[in-house]
Amino acid sequence: MKKNIIILGGGQAGIYAAREIRKNDTESNIKILGEENLLPYERPPLSKDFLLDKKNEQDLYFHSSEVLKNENIDFENILITKVDFEHKKLFSKNEDVYTYDTLLISTGSDNKRLSLDNNLNDDVYYLRNLEEAKTIKEKVLNKNKITIIGGGFIGLEIASSLSQLQKKVTVIEISNQLMGRIIPKQIADLVQSTHIDHGNKIILNKQIDKITKKNDNFEILLNDNSLIETDFVIAGIGSTPSVKLFENTNLKLDNGIVTNQFCETSIKNVYAAGDVSNFYHPLYERNMRLESYQHAQNHGICAGKNIAGVKTEYTSIPWMWSDQFNLNLQLTGICDEYDEIIERGNDINKGVIYFFLKNNKIRGACGVGIIGKVGRDIRITSKLTEKDTIVDKQILSDQNLKLNKLIQK
Amino acid sequence: MSEKNWIEVGSTDSIEEEDLIRFDHQDKTFCVYKLTDGFYATDGICTHEAVHLEDGLVMDDEIECPMHQGIFNIKSGEALSPPACEDLKTYPVKVDNDKIFIKID
Repeated sequence: MKKNIIILGGGQAGIYAAREIRKNDTESNIKILGEENLLPYERPPLSKDFLLDKKNEQDLYFHSSEVLKNENIDFENILITKVDFEHKKLFSKNEDVYTYDTLLISTGSDNKRLSLDNNLNDDVYYLRNLEEAKTIKEKVLNKNKITIIGGGFIGLEIASSLSQLQKKVTVIEISNQLMGRIIPKQIADLVQSTHIDHGNKIILNKQIDKITKKNDNFEILLNDNSLIETDFVIAGIGSTPSVKLFENTNLKLDNGIVTNQFCETSIKNVYAAGDVSNFYHPLYERNMRLESYQHAQNHGICAGKNIAGVKTEYTSIPWMWSDQFNLNLQLTGICDEYDEIIERGNDINKGVIYFFLKNNKIRGACGVGIIGKVGRDIRITSKLTEKDTIVDKQILSDQNLKLNKLIQK
Repeated sequence: MSEKNWIEVGSTDSIEEEDLIRFDHQDKTFCVYKLTDGFYATDGICTHEAVHLEDGLVMDDEIECPMHQGIFNIKSGEALSPPACEDLKTYPVKVDNDKIFIKID
């Protein structure tokens, strides 16, 4: 049956969903409504190769407009300001009305922002979209001392890039380790050493008390009364799901839009995918919200299948990466539910991986190494996790023994 | 087919089954694979980002990039899974007297 399918959110989850729907449904109208006046593009390079001028804007687009045209997928740049789930309508600021039979919400997430005096709000920069990346790239050109507030992935990737652009970089992190929300301390400490080796200054366990503008520069007062002078301030302090539009509706929200393993929300014919969704993962038997490239892609594809009537459970094992300097860090599964930790390797040049086991099965693993050195083992780990395999710990802990021996075919 | 373009890679026992070796020739890098039904060769660098596939995972007839999990069919070079979307170039392979040769154009 021909339907009007609207995808609200023009990011990675949205475009992968659209193409997957089209693969399975040649009849329905598919329209993506995107807030940015850009076709869906890849975000990971924004903090890395884009800042370093190794990739330009054209390199970032997932698909050309021809691909969308050939697949009869409509893309419209519009800001939706109101949703009426009861009558299946979306409204723009100018009261344009969009009527759907099926809606996919893939609005992503927004930057958390520092609470600052109003007169400083325009002086602290954030990086989530292409426009923000362009601004930072241009503004840092004639700056030397850069301070990054927040030692998570985004902050550290920017720190790595700006260091490679010969900037003097300081990272201030409120907790006692970098990337603490999801990365085990053992791995975070290895990454921290690499930053320090490249001349970046890392300050842990400190809060910002005050930022003061002095002519064109800034003074940052920390809670131990130390003072940092800087030319430019960037903050990467996490994100929140983009759900403002739905706050006064009957859509069930709890750290994002609550969905089941089929990407279905609490409202019939309304689906959610990607960063905005707090989804049920049947293998981990709990809800989770993920912000990663692989998840946006695979969750979008899964939503697309379900919207097109191909009932599909989302069982993808979480996986993400970060590239900093010459290091590639990878995480698979979840590393916060375990009764045993096993270490594989101790030399970052060969790759170091920590496995997190529960009842002799891997729940998650995190590794870091020179680019290329942990990917294969992390991938095998994902497969072992997915298959719920009881693992031979001797093989896990000995880097001379290949992990693919553990995969049961 | 000119004989001079067949380049010796190594002996057939230098690769384990379902595995690969990296082979550098002049300024190019190749990967040579041993699958259950024979030997195959592709470019050695992922088409998504410049990373060596030698550290990737070979499983069935597929090679998966160790950096961002792009997957290619080893026999056809077809890009099977995003973020890879550009196919990987493949090369003819022959075995002569337990030596592997690949034909580079």
